[in-house]
Amino acid sequence: MVRRRWLKAVTALAGSIGLVLGMVDVAGAAAAAHHKAATGKPIIIGAVIDETGTMKPFDQPAVEAAQLWAKKVNASGGVLGRPIKFKVFNDQLQPSLTRSDALKAIAQGASVLWTTCDVTFATPAIQVGLSHHMLVVSPCTGTNEMGPSRFGAPGKLAFSFGNAPTSDGAVLARLLMQKGWKSATVVTDKLLTYFVDVCQNFTTDFQKMGGKIVTQLTYTTGDHTVTQVAQKAASTGAAATVLCTTTTPTLPAFVTSERTLGNTKPIVGPWSIDGGFWEPKSATISNNIWWATYASVFGDDPNPQIRKLYGQMKSLGETPQTGGFVTGPTALQGIIAAIKRTHGTVKGPKLAAQMVKFHNVPTLSGPVSFSAKYHAVVGRPYRIVEVKNGKPHFVEMLSPGKYAGGA
Amino acid sequence: MTRSRLRLAAELVGPLALVGVVALVAAHLSTSDQTDAINVLVTATIVVGLYVFIGNSGVISFGQISFVAVGAFVAGIYTTPVSTRHTTMPDLFGFLGRPVLTNMESILLAAGIGAVFALIVGLALMRLSGLSAGIATFAVLEITYDILANWGKIGPGPTTLASVPVTTGVGQATIGCAVAVVLAFTYQRSRSCRMLRASRADPLAARGIGVSIFRHRLGAFVLSGAICGFAGALYVHALGSINVTEVYLALTFSTLAMLVVGGSQSLWGATLGGILLGILSSFLSNAENGTSVFGLSFTLPNGLSSIIFAILFVGALMLFPRGLTRNREFLAKALGERSDKHRLGVGLSSTAARGGDGPEAGDTDGAPAAATTAHAAASAEPEK
Repeated sequence: MVRRRWLKAVTALAGSIGLVLGMVDVAGAAAAAHHKAATGKPIIIGAVIDETGTMKPFDQPAVEAAQLWAKKVNASGGVLGRPIKFKVFNDQLQPSLTRSDALKAIAQGASVLWTTCDVTFATPAIQVGLSHHMLVVSPCTGTNEMGPSRFGAPGKLAFSFGNAPTSDGAVLARLLMQKGWKSATVVTDKLLTYFVDVCQNFTTDFQKMGGKIVTQLTYTTGDHTVTQVAQKAASTGAAATVLCTTTTPTLPAFVTSERTLGNTKPIVGPWSIDGGFWEPKSATISNNIWWATYASVFGDDPNPQIRKLYGQMKSLGETPQTGGFVTGPTALQGIIAAIKRTHGTVKGPKLAAQMVKFHNVPTLSGPVSFSAKYHAVVGRPYRIVEVKNGKPHFVEMLSPGKYAGGA
Repeated sequence: MTRSRLRLAAELVGPLALVGVVALVAAHLSTSDQTDAINVLVTATIVVGLYVFIGNSGVISFGQISFVAVGAFVAGIYTTPVSTRHTTMPDLFGFLGRPVLTNMESILLAAGIGAVFALIVGLALMRLSGLSAGIATFAVLEITYDILANWGKIGPGPTTLASVPVTTGVGQATIGCAVAVVLAFTYQRSRSCRMLRASRADPLAARGIGVSIFRHRLGAFVLSGAICGFAGALYVHALGSINVTEVYLALTFSTLAMLVVGGSQSLWGATLGGILLGILSSFLSNAENGTSVFGLSFTLPNGLSSIIFAILFVGALMLFPRGLTRNREFLAKALGERSDKHRLGVGLSSTAARGGDGPEAGDTDGAPAAATTAHAAASAEPEK
């Protein structure tokens, strides 16, 4: 009898607990439903990017990843109750169209302008944004020109969530020193200012760290001298070749030339050589190649959130080819952080005033810091990727260290 | 009014009316669409600049965009605030670092610099004809590009010149294009241009009657340089920025295509080609972001606009090998100008009678202008 009562009591208690838990669950669901009701006025981000030309491999994955991230943010209540909405315009890298697209984005209610990842192509849009006192961001511009250094005082409203070239140069110098490659041949493709800046910063930092530059070589993509330059680089005897260039068409030619001439020493480059798509098929040629990037797109990134996002993009048929895609969500996280800090305003000067104070703001790609001098990210740790016997894989995280800010 | 006077009036009124129509439509567009219209007008100004030399001389030049580039950078640099100049271009020569010009001053300076640059280049190159002239002018484009892209003392080098005041609106672009048309018209009515056209049709015969081909080509080249420099200033003031890659190969070939499709040997052809292809290009590009025509909304897949443009371009050349205007001025046929066939017959027979070889290789189209040869030869005094 006592035992039965005891059982009844336990059952009743369990039922009560279950009821309470159920109520909590319902309340949680209600709260979640409340979060989902991001019914405020949308915060529109006008993305004026390239979806057809040379910037497409950088611009498109970044904006697509950012849109996926925005979905996630909107599903959990938006930004202070307001959903994020992207309006994407294909500027085809035409200056006049870039300007008119930016004006269209503003006419359609954009509060923040998002531009292509090259400041040269983006300038007409940036200037439209600046003249309308809007916050202008680029997810992955790799120079420090998104800011006052290029646009004077109005440039205070412009930021890039790409790494500053000082950071790129410093991390490559650290990588070489860490691996014991104490002499380097530096090969610069003069096609873009970014390449020149990265190699110059590498040279300075590497020498400061005690490394020796054996020789400096240059070519310009399109001048058909890459094979001759690779031949010279192969014979210098340096412990490594640091190459600042883009992927196709010159990189496969350079790598093939070096390896064919018997030089099996490491070839090291910045983010611009990221992605395994350009590698020659031969495992002996595509070997001992290293780069520093934002994320690994080879299924082994240490951050599970990045792996998940990569998987989502892949399932949508939008597989990113380089780790630069994470700069999209990163830029969006930066915009959201600034809006939250200003308690919901989207006015450019107020957002920029907060953004310039960013110090190790956590984002998907790592901590983001800006300053009055640097409107591009300085000091964020990189993923080091190595191509071994034709297969790229994540090796380690490496911080650019004290020289990242051009010290 | 006689028919010839009517023809003369139509020659000027036609292109001006076309420019006016674009301006009228543009005035009713949104700010963003006005940007496209301004671009169309500025591009048409460049095409008229090309016509002044290429159309009248029959010598293909790939170098005129150099004058656009120089004009754009001069106008851009001199109107950028001094503080921005010092920050963004610290290595500039002193004479480029100080004065700040007004919009109008910068435009006039750009035209002047374009003319001077063309004079220097022309003194060296205007004795060349045909393929050699084409290659030499292409070399000028390359040299100009390389210097602008690499020499930080005269500009931003490979980076973008930003913070240029945006002062070219629909009004200024319209007036600018109209000024270019009037200049081109005035020039093509001049004695010098008639002699140049005579040399285009038959250089040997022209030389035979004492025409100094070098002098007249140089004159056209300098005027073309001035108009191109002027257009460069409009360009930079319309966009507010410029990078050297914008005034290089793509602009060279697109403007040449516009001239050829319109009809390279008439002012009407140059204006029509510039405006029509400019509008088409702009429409197709915008269609990739979604557009609507007569209530029908559609979006072109990314990249398709260039393919459609290229197909239409080839189609236009196949259907109208001598351009949409058949190298005629506005209403010329309706107002009684002799047919191409007739002019062709006269030209060939007169050339054959002189035992000449016909137009030079590389000339754009010598035949229709052959009639002008006879006219010029009849009216021109031998030059000393």
